Amino acid sequence: MGRQIYEAVVDGILVGGVYGLMAVGLTLIFGVLDIINIAQGILVILGAYLSYALSVHLHIDLFLGLLLTVPAMFVIGVAIYWAFMRPLRGRERTSMSLLASYAVAIIIEGILYWIFSPNYVQLNAWYVISSVRVFGFYLPYIYLFGFALAVALVVVLYMILYRTRFGRSVRATMQDQTASRLIGIDVNRVAAVTFGIGVAVTAVGGMVYGATSGGFNPNSGYDLISRLLAIIILGGLGSIGGALAAAVFMITLESLVSIWSPNWAIVVFYAALVLVLTVRPSGLFGRQGVRLQ
Amino acid sequence: MHPTRDQAPGGPPAGASHDPALVIEGLVCGYGGGDVLHDVSLSVPAGAITCVVGPNGAGKSTLLATISGLLRPKRGTIKLHGESLAGKSPRQILDMGLVHVQQNHSLFRDMTVRENVELGGYILRDHALLLRRRGYVEEMFPQVAQWAGQKAGSLSGGQQRLVEFARCLMLDPSLVLLDEPSMGLSPKVLRTVFDAARLMNAQGKTILLVEQNARAGLRLSAHGIVLENGRVRLTGSGREILEHPEIGALYLGGAVTRASGPAPGDGGGAPGAAH
Ligand SMILES: Nc1ncnc2c1ncn2[C@@H]1O[C@H](COP(=O)(O)OP(=O)(O)O)[C@@H](O)[C@H]1O
Ligand SMILES: [Mg+2]
Repeated sequence: MGRQIYEAVVDGILVGGVYGLMAVGLTLIFGVLDIINIAQGILVILGAYLSYALSVHLHIDLFLGLLLTVPAMFVIGVAIYWAFMRPLRGRERTSMSLLASYAVAIIIEGILYWIFSPNYVQLNAWYVISSVRVFGFYLPYIYLFGFALAVALVVVLYMILYRTRFGRSVRATMQDQTASRLIGIDVNRVAAVTFGIGVAVTAVGGMVYGATSGGFNPNSGYDLISRLLAIIILGGLGSIGGALAAAVFMITLESLVSIWSPNWAIVVFYAALVLVLTVRPSGLFGRQGVRLQ
Repeated sequence: MHPTRDQAPGGPPAGASHDPALVIEGLVCGYGGGDVLHDVSLSVPAGAITCVVGPNGAGKSTLLATISGLLRPKRGTIKLHGESLAGKSPRQILDMGLVHVQQNHSLFRDMTVRENVELGGYILRDHALLLRRRGYVEEMFPQVAQWAGQKAGSLSGGQQRLVEFARCLMLDPSLVLLDEPSMGLSPKVLRTVFDAARLMNAQGKTILLVEQNARAGLRLSAHGIVLENGRVRLTGSGREILEHPEIGALYLGGAVTRASGPAPGDGGGAPGAAH
């Protein structure tokens, strides 16, 4: 029993790190643009399929393939921004963005069904199959590699945000758009690039998800987006640290509960969300909903 | 002439230049609904402080937003030192030497004071120049240098104004738009903020000031413009507008003619060059 708990916690932290990366992309987009990108879930699946195509057809290693899929997802993100999000203006943009990005999700899902069929597939590589003994029990290598990569990318994102001129312009735009325009920041460009970065991380999330989830199909995006939304709301919309902490917390909680009942695991996930929001409506790390005015 | 307090920086350079810094003709502008500005024409003399007064909702902030490129005018021309601003982005207008300090507090609250000041020079690509400018600005506003490590959001309203002033000077602008810098400040803090505006002016910056506190604003200014319902109602020297009977009754709380001396607690009275 104690051993199971211990395993569930390790598992939760490792998988939670990867969810954290995907959630950071989502919360960053919200922080800068006041947009909730419902398509984030299906974009993760698109990222997984890109890795799948590269690995099955071109025999490119999953991690090496990220060198192609991450830039590809960045470009797709920027394109989605220009076509669907940029036209949204004014007070209703947050709620309108739910509709617009839902439309994007449906379109991508349709295309994926058409190309890949509804059959479940899984990503494969030696590190998905073979396991390593860590902390006293066996885990496929992919959990460790995926976690390490997610952590490294979150650190890179942090460095970009807090150490670069571009990062400063992103943080300024998150706090006050008009003031940012008045000091010469091109907020449209910041928004497009931020959306691109927020989507680019789904390439990594998708690859790890595709290798660890035991199979995915174009319908898997819904399960993902509901978790990701719960995570960023719990972490406080727009808060990067919050998204990371909430991801690890929620996924660990889920894996703990599933020791007793896998069916209850997902219920507890949302129960925890409702509970925390009752006590702290702005989420664990939120700033009293400043972003929603 | 009223005796003035220790006016360290001295008054603005009197009649520094003859060409106006800014000329606006036939400006019409709005937010998509009805027009807010109707056929506004005015000019802002170089080297002096010009104050726009008028009731709430007259369109003063809209006027400044149109000048700085936040809003696109429907009709009319705006020329800065003879060059048209038509079709220019806020960024390009900054490049031309015009900065705008908004009415609402506009510091990036979660960043430090120093980061805020440096962001004033965001468009400067030359890091050495940025540091030089920061040194110059912090010399001009030593308090701002003292708060460098604090979060901007933790400062009081008056302190935030000074940081906003410091930030806007990072580009060494020739024309500064100030939208109601006194809003929400106590009379004592207001004086500090107005002193800072005067100091900027003494450093050669032309200032276009919008003030709800019309009396104090006009006293500080060489020139005044009364804006009413999106139209220019009256222009003249600061003093002429202060002493105009009708305007006095409408915006200055009446009885201006008798109260033309500096009110107790008022900073420096009319600056030297006000007439
Ligand atoms: N962002 C905006 N959108 C729509 N209308 C606005 C906006 N800002 C101001 N207005 C309207 O424009 C008019 C002038 O406002 P403003 O320029 O702020 O006046 P002032 O600064 O003189 O108080 C008002 O009727 C106001 O309701
Ligand atoms: Mg105003």
